[in-house]
Amino acid sequence: MNLLQYQPGNSFLHRLNPITKLAAAFLYGAACIISGNLFLVTALIILMILIAATAGLGGRALRLTRNLLILGALMFIIQLFFVRSGDPLLVTGGFVWVTTGGLVSALLLSLRVVAAMLPLMLLFAITEISDLCGALVKKLHVPYRYAFIVTTAFRFVPLFTSEFHDIEDAQRARGVEYDTRNIVKKVQLVAPLFVPLLTSSLRKVDAGAISAEVRGFNLRTYNSGYQQYPFHLADGAAVVLLVALIVVSAVL
Amino acid sequence: MLEFKHVSYHYPATPPVIPDLSFKIEKGEFVALAGSNGAGKSTISRLSNGLLLPSSGEVTVGGFNTKTTRASQIARKVAFLFQNPDRQICQNTVREEVSFGMRVQGFPEEEIKARTEAALETFSLNGDWSPFTRSRGERQRIALASVLAGKPELVILDEPTTGLDYKECTAIMDHIAKLNREEGLTILMVCHDMELIQSYAGRVLVLNRGTLLGDGPTRQIMKDRELLSKARLRPAQIPNLALRLGAGFEDVYTVDEMAALLQKRAGHKEGEE
Ligand SMILES: Nc1ncnc2c1ncn2[C@@H]1O[C@H](COP(=O)(O)OP(=O)(O)OP(=O)(O)O)[C@@H](O)[C@H]1O
Ligand SMILES: [Mg+2]
Repeated sequence: MNLLQYQPGNSFLHRLNPITKLAAAFLYGAACIISGNLFLVTALIILMILIAATAGLGGRALRLTRNLLILGALMFIIQLFFVRSGDPLLVTGGFVWVTTGGLVSALLLSLRVVAAMLPLMLLFAITEISDLCGALVKKLHVPYRYAFIVTTAFRFVPLFTSEFHDIEDAQRARGVEYDTRNIVKKVQLVAPLFVPLLTSSLRKVDAGAISAEVRGFNLRTYNSGYQQYPFHLADGAAVVLLVALIVVSAVL
Repeated sequence: MLEFKHVSYHYPATPPVIPDLSFKIEKGEFVALAGSNGAGKSTISRLSNGLLLPSSGEVTVGGFNTKTTRASQIARKVAFLFQNPDRQICQNTVREEVSFGMRVQGFPEEEIKARTEAALETFSLNGDWSPFTRSRGERQRIALASVLAGKPELVILDEPTTGLDYKECTAIMDHIAKLNREEGLTILMVCHDMELIQSYAGRVLVLNRGTLLGDGPTRQIMKDRELLSKARLRPAQIPNLALRLGAGFEDVYTVDEMAALLQKRAGHKEGEE
């Protein structure tokens, strides 16, 4: 969760229009997926980390890359044994385990996963969810209802976490021992906690829905928000650059 | 029973909520912890039973140091009632809920049965009810019954009566007071309702921004208007009225005392005429 949290700032990236950021993250990811060039994909990962560093997010980008590499390694292993084109690389007792084609395509796939996910995850670091949804409603006329669902879902995550901690505390105060190493026992102990979590969450959600309704939730249109999300020259420039990047990665 | 020795506490990445706190509560006392919102009352109550550990200093409760004892072990001696009963209730029937604490603490089965039935009786609860559909007051009573069923030595109550009507509130408080009187149960009650404190607590700790401003018998604290206003608390009505009336009313503290004194004065006047 921590790695996806918004980090306030005033860098060039922060100041872009939320829609530009969203589009840019997708275009950057698309460029990585289109490209069939191992070196280009690697370069794009490094470039992304450098770009993040300009917004003071270099450390976070590195940590995200590391975590994504773990995921990539998993896909690498699976892919390695399933693609059987090219020359045999690892042969034992007449059985071909790994081929050159498998190696290249596995490397490419896992690096693509890292390269395409990285900008999307960094998007959350430079954009507040409420801004993103606000801009989507204002500029693209996405129905407010859907934008609201997204913002609310994000807002409920920390709420659930703290609620769950409080529930756990209430049970610990009654003598329930959660720091056991026995997984089966742990599950047995934690499972009943979902009952209070569910009841109190449903109560909260219900109250939230009613209070939204009585404050005129249904009257809201795309034009109701106070905040404006104008596009600037920088937004145009960013989009042009990214389209160029897509062309380059398609050609290379 | 409970002692804080130069305790400080800060939540991760915040300035200290409690800078340096020391106090001691003896067995059998009924102590109220009063303070305005955000004064640190809930933090102190969580420090008291090992749910939070002090950043520095020591908390001892029932002979245990909270740093070296598990919260679940402390739970045998120290019961904790949260403001919101819904965080606690997790079983399908009231009977299972009331026996749950004793069961996880490993009480023998017969004892669990006997104590559960006794607790259901004293708190006028039906063991077959589903706790989730009961009223707020009843849910609070169920939660209280289940923390008290294991016969703890100290009970910490974090705002036990918020959201309860007068009848539920007095029912719960009277029961707690009775256990305090008759069985020597020690009580630490977090509260900012000065009327409730005046009616039940023998001693008050006055808290402001994590610092103890005052500590003394309820009668004395209620008269200290300067102290209370510093802690952003309002004295209970009768002591407040007595302070206003000034000379002759210094020792008046309860409704009964006020009524008696006023009647006596009225009687004097009639006699003089
Ligand atoms: N989990 C937390 N993380 C960071 N700060 C916290 C946390 N819990 C409480 N605080 C802060 O600690 C201070 C004391 O909080 P605490 O809950 O102990 O106050 P309280 O006296 O119980 O208030 P209330 O009357 O509102 O219940 C507050 O300023 C609060 O913002
Ligand atoms: Mg509190």
